[in-house]
Amino acid sequence: MFGRKGKEKKGNYAYAVARVKAKKAQLMGEDTYSKMMLMSLPEISRFIGESGYQKEIAALAGRYEGVDLIEHATYSNMANYFRGILEATTGELHDMLASYLEKWDIWNFKVVLRGRSFGMNAEDIKEDLVPAGKLDQQALEKLLSLESEEDIIAAYGKAAGVVFPADLISAYKESGNPSELEDFLEKDHYDTLLRSIDPSSRPTRLFQDYIRKEIDIKNVETILKLKAEGIHGEEVMKYIIPGGKQIDKKLATQLANAETLSAAANDLAPLDFYDDIKEALDETNSLRGIVAGMKKYHIRQAKTFSHLYPLSVIPIVDFMIHKENEVNNIRIIARGLNSGLDLDVIKELLVI
Amino acid sequence: MELGLIAIGAGLAVGLTGIGAGWAEKDVGAAAVGAMTEDASLFGKGMILMVLPETIVIFGLVVAILAVFVLGA
Repeated sequence: MFGRKGKEKKGNYAYAVARVKAKKAQLMGEDTYSKMMLMSLPEISRFIGESGYQKEIAALAGRYEGVDLIEHATYSNMANYFRGILEATTGELHDMLASYLEKWDIWNFKVVLRGRSFGMNAEDIKEDLVPAGKLDQQALEKLLSLESEEDIIAAYGKAAGVVFPADLISAYKESGNPSELEDFLEKDHYDTLLRSIDPSSRPTRLFQDYIRKEIDIKNVETILKLKAEGIHGEEVMKYIIPGGKQIDKKLATQLANAETLSAAANDLAPLDFYDDIKEALDETNSLRGIVAGMKKYHIRQAKTFSHLYPLSVIPIVDFMIHKENEVNNIRIIARGLNSGLDLDVIKELLVI
Repeated sequence: MELGLIAIGAGLAVGLTGIGAGWAEKDVGAAAVGAMTEDASLFGKGMILMVLPETIVIFGLVVAILAVFVLGA
């Protein structure tokens, strides 16, 4: 009953959730974003430097300024938070979170591989890394120090436990285009993540549902983006991630085959997030509005179940979603102000 | 014989409530330490929440004392 083995398997929910709840209390509220929109960039840097991002702003202020400082500080802060949480968890909780955070490993792998193939120097690539996943800064630097791109792929596969199909590697060697490898990683990530969640309890089932809805949103985003570029049919289906909740292969094919965005709108009608994207679909037909609508839906989904099961993986994932959202919102405000966007446009882009 | 059974009952009252309190404190303590890691000022609140399950043992102790001194007398 008190065996170490059993405890390791289950995970330290009480400890991790208490830490995460304390961290969540420090996240920014809606009114803070409105306040930030009226500030200048140095004011924003100082403001976030006084509210949770002190360490990162202080460490990076000597090297960057303006938008760059804000972007690097926010990402670095998020990476520190996520890694901190990951290191503080054990058992199945750790496994689920590690699988969830694998998306940042994929992000870093993409940064390293693309950086190398474009001939960037290691220092510049290092600046764009976000070590928020299983691979820490040291592991990523080791990856970066490898001689060839094939070595990087092999070393990443070993470190992250991914087996790349040989034909993808040889195709990459021939074309030098890593997009197929990246698509494979994305699909593999969701497959591993869904498999790492044991759906025997209600909270884990909710988490699984949440991830499957995320897959739906990603697929719709992919379909609409490709449609905007004039790509339809089979070509689109290559990029569809299996495992979605509402969008099965049939519906995905239907959406992919629709000639225009408006034609696809009818097929989207039965989906849960249709109400959030309806306005953008009907009136403006803007991809930006649709994507922002889907993100808002996704965040709302996380909010609906975040209070349901206090001793489960849900409050932790909920915090991660909100932290990532906060970081994205700060970056949107900073980038928007820097490029002189209208405040209303920035407001529309924010996910609150 | 009867006194022996009373002593066993008293022992069970304290022992089982002790296990119950420990079981409850396991999660409360872990959560309190987690909260304190983030904010050291939560020590007071954490401490109070931590000792609340101890009241179960006090009930057990009262039952044990009653058993030994009232029934055993």
